[in-house]
Amino acid sequence: MSRNSTQWNQRPDFPDTHFVSTEIYTNEQIFREEQAKVFGTCWIIACHESELENAYDYRTFNHPAGAPLIVIRGEDKTVRSFYNICPHRGNTLLYEPVGNAKRITCIFHAWSFNAKGDCIDISREKQGYQDRFSCDKAGLREVKTSIGYGGFVWVNVDDDCCSLQDYIGDAMSSLDENLNMPLEVFHYHQAVVNTNYKLWHDTNSEFYHDYMHYFNRITGMIQPGYFDRKYTGFPNGHASVGSMAIKYDAYEGSKERGVGWPGLAPGGWVLIDIFPGMTYNLRTSVLRMDTAIPLGPNKLLIEFRGLGLKSDTPEQRAERVRDHNQIWGPFGRNLHEDLLGVHGQGLAMRDRTDSKWVIHGREENMTIHDEGGMRHFYAEWGRRMGRKAHDPLTAEEASAQV
Amino acid sequence: MDHRHAISELISRSCMTLDEKKFADYLALCDEAYRYRITAYSPEIRKEMTWLEHDRAGMQSLFGSLPRHNSDQSPLTRHVTVYTVSEDAAAQQAEVISALQVFRTSLDGGVTELFAVGRLYDKISLAGDAPRLLDRNVRLQTRMLGYGYHIPF
Repeated sequence: MSRNSTQWNQRPDFPDTHFVSTEIYTNEQIFREEQAKVFGTCWIIACHESELENAYDYRTFNHPAGAPLIVIRGEDKTVRSFYNICPHRGNTLLYEPVGNAKRITCIFHAWSFNAKGDCIDISREKQGYQDRFSCDKAGLREVKTSIGYGGFVWVNVDDDCCSLQDYIGDAMSSLDENLNMPLEVFHYHQAVVNTNYKLWHDTNSEFYHDYMHYFNRITGMIQPGYFDRKYTGFPNGHASVGSMAIKYDAYEGSKERGVGWPGLAPGGWVLIDIFPGMTYNLRTSVLRMDTAIPLGPNKLLIEFRGLGLKSDTPEQRAERVRDHNQIWGPFGRNLHEDLLGVHGQGLAMRDRTDSKWVIHGREENMTIHDEGGMRHFYAEWGRRMGRKAHDPLTAEEASAQV
Repeated sequence: MDHRHAISELISRSCMTLDEKKFADYLALCDEAYRYRITAYSPEIRKEMTWLEHDRAGMQSLFGSLPRHNSDQSPLTRHVTVYTVSEDAAAQQAEVISALQVFRTSLDGGVTELFAVGRLYDKISLAGDAPRLLDRNVRLQTRMLGYGYHIPF
């Protein structure tokens, strides 16, 4: 039976933890708060160590809390991160996404910095500033940086944050054995979609949407073991999904994966969601990493990386690339469908469409079609935001959600 | 019809057949040994990337599976301009470089936007009655494709 306006707006007949208000996806104020309280305090993946192989190699990264960053490997091989902002006139220091810079010199007035963030030259310093100001007061703003969990470079703009290890806790334990060798990024692309970052992370946190993917239905959902996969929630909003054996040759034009991945059973698939918007997705021969970078309440940039082993032979690498592209490349079978899905959510939920609720109500003993992964995420989101995801605009502090 | 004219028409037909989703007609333009790739260079990771790679059978099965997938149905318009044709008479082949622009037109309202630019690097067989596509590398300059697409360029 269809519903009238009153019925449409009535809160769903579920516990508070089992649905959210679509305000959390559209409200500008909430988004600004998320930049500070969520992205401004959490560890975020900026790039991978294989993108910074040599001393002075750098990558730029637009941090989702707002600051543009430079991630650079020093002469001592340590990777450090700094604001990509000249402390003089606020200019961008490094314009290109990647490069090698022993000396970072601002094009505007030629102030220079080294890979440790020290200011090493102010042009005509004495003539202009006499003894009132000098290089020692003009260093770059450093951002906490740590490498781990597959060689990813993590950054945290909160000087008082916990360590990366404390932040991750045991959440990565199901991939411990799979990521303890040097990896290398072989695929990188970005997608900008008019949707909220949490909707993308939700899609990575629930498998009920496998109905959208013919590939996953035929190679996974109808295969033994699919409905046994379980979600495990970890502190700080992280969650993992257990493995199963995917039957790749069930899809026409596909075949059983040969090259595999160390420590992963043939056809295996492990997925770990890291709060607030990163996902490790290890399927047979490829590790995919998604990093969600919100640009606004309804605008999202996603960085997609595909990784193999640094020790790959050309033949092994070519096979990983093929495996990756079949489902995850920009022309792949699954990625396009996932992105269409969240694009459609963004269309329907954009401000003032009278969308109201999103239901996370499935309970299947935390197995694959249970929506507990999303509930776990929103419990952490509510805790950090001091808001209730099902009623975010009520002033009172959020109660603990379970 | 001279070779350059026939080759230009073959390349145009390859775009028109894909635009019109006449996949059997597209495959009829391809040699049995046809290979297709979409490649791009990523300045971010300083690496060459292959985004799609199929032989003729792989293209056929990709086209055949399309109705089973959820895809953006916005039509694409491929605009191609043949730049250079280099013939190797002994090998009965030609190498052709063309400019490619791909436009996407929304179904709701019909707004057209530029979707991608790049080049086609084609190898053409001249051994038979008519030229046939032997190898195609769609070399993309554009790497930001939004929510992507299921049908190759």
